[in-house]
Amino acid sequence: MALLEIKDLHVALNDGTEIVRGIDLIVRPGEVHAIMGPNGSGKSTLAYALMGHPSYEISGGDVLLDGESLLPLGADERAQKGLFLAFQYPYAVPGVTVSSFLRSAMNALRKARAGGTDDPIPIPEFRKDLTAAMEHLKVPRELLGRYLNDGFSGGEKKRIEILQMALLRPQIAVLDETDSGLDIDALKTIAGGISDLVGPEMGAIVITHYQRILNYIHPDFVHVFAAGRFVAEGDAELAKKLESEGYDAYLPEGIPGDG
Amino acid sequence: MKRAAALERYRELPLPTTSEESWRFTDLTGFDPDAYELAETARPAEIAPLIELELAGSARIDEGGVEIVKAPEGVVFAPLDEKDERIGALVAAEDKIAAANAAFWRHGLLVEVPAGVELAQPLHVRIESTVANGSLPTRLLVVAGENSRFTLIEEHVSASEDLDALTNCTVEVHVGAGAKLELVSVQRLSRRGWHFAHQRARLERDSELDWVCAGLGSKKSKTWISNDLAGVGATSRVTGVYFADDSQHLDFDTFQEHAAPHTTSDFLFRGVLRDQATTVWRGMIRVEEEARGTDAYQENRNLLFSRQAHANSIPGLEILTNDVRCSHGATVGQVDREQLFYLMSRGLSESEAERLIVSGFFAEALDRIEREPIREALARALEARIPQ
Repeated sequence: MALLEIKDLHVALNDGTEIVRGIDLIVRPGEVHAIMGPNGSGKSTLAYALMGHPSYEISGGDVLLDGESLLPLGADERAQKGLFLAFQYPYAVPGVTVSSFLRSAMNALRKARAGGTDDPIPIPEFRKDLTAAMEHLKVPRELLGRYLNDGFSGGEKKRIEILQMALLRPQIAVLDETDSGLDIDALKTIAGGISDLVGPEMGAIVITHYQRILNYIHPDFVHVFAAGRFVAEGDAELAKKLESEGYDAYLPEGIPGDG
Repeated sequence: MKRAAALERYRELPLPTTSEESWRFTDLTGFDPDAYELAETARPAEIAPLIELELAGSARIDEGGVEIVKAPEGVVFAPLDEKDERIGALVAAEDKIAAANAAFWRHGLLVEVPAGVELAQPLHVRIESTVANGSLPTRLLVVAGENSRFTLIEEHVSASEDLDALTNCTVEVHVGAGAKLELVSVQRLSRRGWHFAHQRARLERDSELDWVCAGLGSKKSKTWISNDLAGVGATSRVTGVYFADDSQHLDFDTFQEHAAPHTTSDFLFRGVLRDQATTVWRGMIRVEEEARGTDAYQENRNLLFSRQAHANSIPGLEILTNDVRCSHGATVGQVDREQLFYLMSRGLSESEAERLIVSGFFAEALDRIEREPIREALARALEARIPQ
C-alpha cells in the first residue's frame, strides 16, 4: 500500500526565499501524522508544495509515493496517483454545481486508472456513493445543487472538502487547517469522517495550529514545525503539552510565536 | 429604401475606420467587400446540425436561394418578397454595411406568426455560406402577431471550416402587443470569413423578447443587436455568449432603447478569449424622456486564458428622465490560476479544469435559456473550444 516519503525537502518561493528548510517524514497506510506549528511557520507552504503548486519551487530533497518521485508530476497527476489536499481556503467555481464537480473529479480519476480512456461512473453508482458519504458527513442535500464553494460558509466549505476526500478515496490525504473556522459540532462530524477514512487504505497528514482536532483524530505521531523545520517530534502527548505550554519553547531566538 | 438608392448610398459611403466611435476597436483595414463576388449557385454541402430538436418549420438559405424544408401550419414561412413594405423599417441603410445589404440582398425569409398563434415547437432557419470568395447578403423579417408565442432559431454556418467568404445579414423583428418571442441567433461560421449582422427588434405593448446570441465563428465580425422598447410594459432579455481564440476578432454592439414607460431590458454578455483573440462589447442604454419607470440592466464579463488576448468592454448610459433604475457591470479578467490549481488537485487535467471553469462561466448566462436542447447544444459548442 501507499507509502509517502519526504526526504530532506526544501521549498522556496519563486524569489528564492526558502520556507521549508529540510524535513523528513514517512507516512505509512493507516498512520496519522500531525504537523503542528505557529502561524507563519510554513505549514501551508509544505502542503501546497506536496500537491505541486506552481508558485513554490522544490529547492532540494524529494517526495516519493510508493517509491516514485512526485516532483516531476503536476497536481493532476499527483491526485491521480492518490494524493489529496484538503485546502484551508477552498476556491469557488461559480456556475459549476457541487454535484457536477464531484462527478467530473471522480471521472478524471477513473479515466487515469483506466489508462486514459473515459470510464465515467454510472449515475446510479454515483448517486449511491454520494448519498452515503453525505449522510455520514452530514452534508445538507441542498449544497449539491449550489455552485462549488460559491457563497459557502467556512463550515460548508470544509464539509465539501472532506466529502471530496471520501469520494475520491486518496491513499495519502494532507489536511491543511481543516479545523479552522469550525464550531465544535462541525469539528466532531468532520474529524470523525476523516478518522473513518484512515486505515489500511489511507494515511493522513493533519496540519493544524491547535490540538483541538486531535481529540477526534488520534495522531500516531506529532511533529512540531517551526521556521521551516521539525523542531520536536513525539506522540499524542506532545500535542497536549503544546496546547498547555504553547510554541515559544520551540521557536528559535528572535522569531516571535503566535502572539 | 429602394435598391437603387441603397446602392448609391453604398457607393458614396467610405468603409468605416477606427476614427468612428463604434469602429474604434474593429479595424477593417485589408477588408475589401467588392473582392467578394455575389454567387448565384451554391455548392452542395453536408453541414451537421448543432441542435437536435423537433421543429415546427425549417428553412435553408444559401447562395442559390431559399428552400423551405418544412412549412409550419398556420404561419407565413416563405421567401421574403423584396416589395414587402416592412423591409428597412427597423434597419435603414445608414452605414456602409447596412447599405450593402439593402442594395445586394437576394435571398431572405419572412416569418409571420398571426395574432394569437402559439407554436409549441421552434422554427429554424439556417443560412449557409458555401462559395469560396463569395458574398452572401441575406435578410430575415420576423413578425410576431399580437399575443403570438413562438421560438425562432437562426443559424449562420459555412460549408467548410476554412471557407473565406463574406456574410452580411439584416434581421428585423417586430414583436406585436402581448407577443412572446424567443429568438436564438447562432453564428458558427468558418474562422476565415468576414461576418456582419444588423439585428434590430421593436417591441410593442406588454410584449416579451428573449434573445440568445452566440458568437463562435468568423475571422472578424461585427454584430449589432438593438432593441426598441416602444410599447408600455415591454420586456426584452438578451443573453450573449461568445468564444474567440487564435486571431479571431468578434465585435458586439448592443443598444437598449427605452421609448415607453415601464419597460424592462436585461442584457447579459459573457465571453471567453484565448490566444491572441480580441473582442469588443459595447453597450448603450438610452432612456427617453417619456420612458418613466424604466428598468434597464447591462452586463458584460470576459474571461481570458491568455495575456495576449484582449477584450474591450464599453458600457454606456444615456438617461433623459429621472424615474429609472439603470445599472451596468463590465469586467475583464484572467483565469484564476488558484482556481485551476484547486481543480487540478482533484485529478482534472489542465484542459479538463479549464473546460469546467468555462462551462461554469457560461452556465450563469445559459441558465437563462429555458429549452434544454438549445442550452446544452450551446454549452457543448462553447466547451468544445477548449483544446483537449
